[in-house]
Amino acid sequence: MANPATFDIAVVGGGLVGAAIGYGLARGGVQVALLDEGDIAYRASRGNFGLVWVQGKGLGLAPYSNWTQLSARRWPELAALLRADADTDVALEQPGGFHLCLSERELEVRVQTLTRLFAQPGLEAYPFEVLDHAALADRIPGIGSAVVGGTYTRLDGHVNALKLLRALHAGFGKHGGTYLPNTRTERLQSSGGRFVLEAHGTTLRASKIVLAAGLGNLHLAPQVGLAAPVRPQRGQILVLERVRRFLHHPLATLRQTDEGTVLIGDSQEEAGYDDTVGLAVLATLADRALRTFPALRDVRINRTWAALRVMSPDGFPVYEQSRAQPGAFLATCHSGVTLAAAHALELAPLIAAGDLGPRLQPFSAERLHVQKAT
Amino acid sequence: MTLASRYDILVIGAGPAGLAAAAESVAMGLRVALVDEQGAPGGQIYRAITTTPVQQRDVLGADYWYGEKLVAAFERSGAGYSPRTTVWAVTREADEFQIGLSCDGGAQLIRARQVILATGAQERPFPIPGWTLPGVMTAGAAQILLKSAGLVPGGTTVLAGSGPLLYLIAAQFTAAGARVECLLDTTPAGRWRDVLRHAPDFVASPYAAKGWSMLRAAQRMMRIVKGVEQISAIGAGKLDGVRFTTGGHTQDIPADLLLLHQGVVPGINLSNAIGCAHHWDAAQACFTPTVDDWGATSIPGITIAGDAAGIAGARSAEARGTLAALHAASALGHLRTAQRDAQAVAPRRELERWNRGRKFVDALYLPAPEFRIPTGDTIVCRCEEVTARQVTETVALGCTGPNQMKSFLRCGMGPCQGRLCGLTITELIAKERGVSPAETGYYRLRFPVKPITLGELAALPQTDSSVDAVVRIKR
Repeated sequence: MANPATFDIAVVGGGLVGAAIGYGLARGGVQVALLDEGDIAYRASRGNFGLVWVQGKGLGLAPYSNWTQLSARRWPELAALLRADADTDVALEQPGGFHLCLSERELEVRVQTLTRLFAQPGLEAYPFEVLDHAALADRIPGIGSAVVGGTYTRLDGHVNALKLLRALHAGFGKHGGTYLPNTRTERLQSSGGRFVLEAHGTTLRASKIVLAAGLGNLHLAPQVGLAAPVRPQRGQILVLERVRRFLHHPLATLRQTDEGTVLIGDSQEEAGYDDTVGLAVLATLADRALRTFPALRDVRINRTWAALRVMSPDGFPVYEQSRAQPGAFLATCHSGVTLAAAHALELAPLIAAGDLGPRLQPFSAERLHVQKAT
Repeated sequence: MTLASRYDILVIGAGPAGLAAAAESVAMGLRVALVDEQGAPGGQIYRAITTTPVQQRDVLGADYWYGEKLVAAFERSGAGYSPRTTVWAVTREADEFQIGLSCDGGAQLIRARQVILATGAQERPFPIPGWTLPGVMTAGAAQILLKSAGLVPGGTTVLAGSGPLLYLIAAQFTAAGARVECLLDTTPAGRWRDVLRHAPDFVASPYAAKGWSMLRAAQRMMRIVKGVEQISAIGAGKLDGVRFTTGGHTQDIPADLLLLHQGVVPGINLSNAIGCAHHWDAAQACFTPTVDDWGATSIPGITIAGDAAGIAGARSAEARGTLAALHAASALGHLRTAQRDAQAVAPRRELERWNRGRKFVDALYLPAPEFRIPTGDTIVCRCEEVTARQVTETVALGCTGPNQMKSFLRCGMGPCQGRLCGLTITELIAKERGVSPAETGYYRLRFPVKPITLGELAALPQTDSSVDAVVRIKR
């Protein structure tokens, strides 16, 4: 019998990124350990907005748009697998999504952004529409007069992000994965072609390791010859009580979940590791949501949430295999829900095969060093 | 009243601790406001004391009417007072606090240099099979209806649980003319023997004589079943009866109303959301804010008085309110340390007097694990209808704490924000994992600690940076 503390692959991080990769690896028959922290940690996965979102992403790195589109296309397959493996409906809907603008200036900037996005070489273009208030009002009943216009693509969708995290964990377990909670990884080293992980008093060995520890990668990556120059970026969310279904498309900043609650986002603040909520930002979020849907005025806010996004310097994911210590992989991004399908169904097999291949070449951290030098 | 935009001290809660803290602070010449959710001062213990229709004084008893003196002193003090006001957020802004309030459907932000939380206790969750049926409520909620509206139950009432408050309520209801069929006492049989070492202190305390007379009165007035080991509320769609087991023997009794109560625990939602340190109190089986002997928390400027800082009753709360005010005044530089200590002598003496016997009461009435940690299909989280079995299955999946549990099952995400399930979830996870509740931890709570409407929040002031954080367009 194999030593129970020896695995083919150890994935460090039990959030959406680590759990999706771990699930994909376990499905492929690999012996995987998924190492996670305890109940209180900087968990971006708990603050996720739940969008499976394509439109507007990739300005500055066209392959990111393509990777995102690929994930959105493979999402129905992931949802079906999770239904079978975890007996969970993660409530995937991909009816197309709207980005609404509350001023002419916002709309102008939005259209410019999409125009610049599609002008990039190598980007797989997708259709989008620019809509004025009247056209929007036909398709989204109840929008307020403050909404001057917006953009739409049919690729966008959303899921229940909490059900997703649970389903990935359950599916991982179903395929024989070993989940190790309260096991914060402290030290990594390689010895005799194997990686040795020291985590919370225990030692594990694995032929390969995947660093999917979010902000924790900052300190772990250099131990195996990788760089993960990530920083926290605070995002805040309002959660309203359940109301009758009134919204049949996700908006970039507001969506109604399958359970009827309404989520309102999204804010971006450079606040270091402070993951507490700030009242002024909440007021701005509430004000814009109210101008978008005036009928929400008397709906109660049950909760607010602040979480720390895991941001790279240019905002794009980093996927990389260590040159100095082959077999050590890094995966970091701030779109763990959108990219869950790509992580489980595309990235995991590449990691298992030991080569990330040409598609993920553009996501190497080398691009960040180049930027720094110029 | 209209609140000013700034105070030296904001006191939250108009029970004995808050009333004493506000009156003491004003007496020292500080600018003070007291905000409270109710329409009149008194808190839960002296609820509606200035407005109650129950004027026959022996119904609610001398301990209730004692509150008149306290309320009168507060009213004479001239402290600012805003009733029907809910505090939903307290955040630090530079060297003061920003407090988010909601009053009559309108939200506003005010500032204070010191905040005294006197938010009191809440009833401990009592998760038995059928506890969500219409016709089942907490005894404390029924007592509020009696105090504030003179309402007593009409049909056949059964009381169940343990603790002194249960017997007090039984006596008050009977005196007010309600028909209490039966009191099912869940205090574990033989608990007396375990707690005898604390008995001498109790016997010497002011509670002893009251306790005995209350018990004897209840015994005269209703059937009391001791050593009850299991209880279920039964009925289809509404309560029809109560099933209980004692000495291995199970029986059903018909009932129109089942009132449950197994003691109170500190209400920690606000202190938790503010970020104050808390610890597991094994003697009272609950989480309690960690405070020093003035009530000062781990966050400078936030002081907690009364049962919100640990259950010790109304008279202790009053003394702790005074001490909290002295501490806050001293922190503001308004009172020298020597003055503070001199003025603290009298309230500390009171505190010592009213804390006597507490260990005995805590130990005697600590609810048995069977009534704190449910099994099977019993609902744990009422808001999201999460059962005990779902929680134990999710622990088996590798979920180790209440915050991950919240992500996985939505427990604690409803409008009560964990008040009715938090302790149960912690103890259930701890039991399944074979670790302590202290290690398991509690929900990390966020604002608003009481729901407010989107319209209220949208009307609050925004800043350039808050707009930039959301709109993200270069100006």
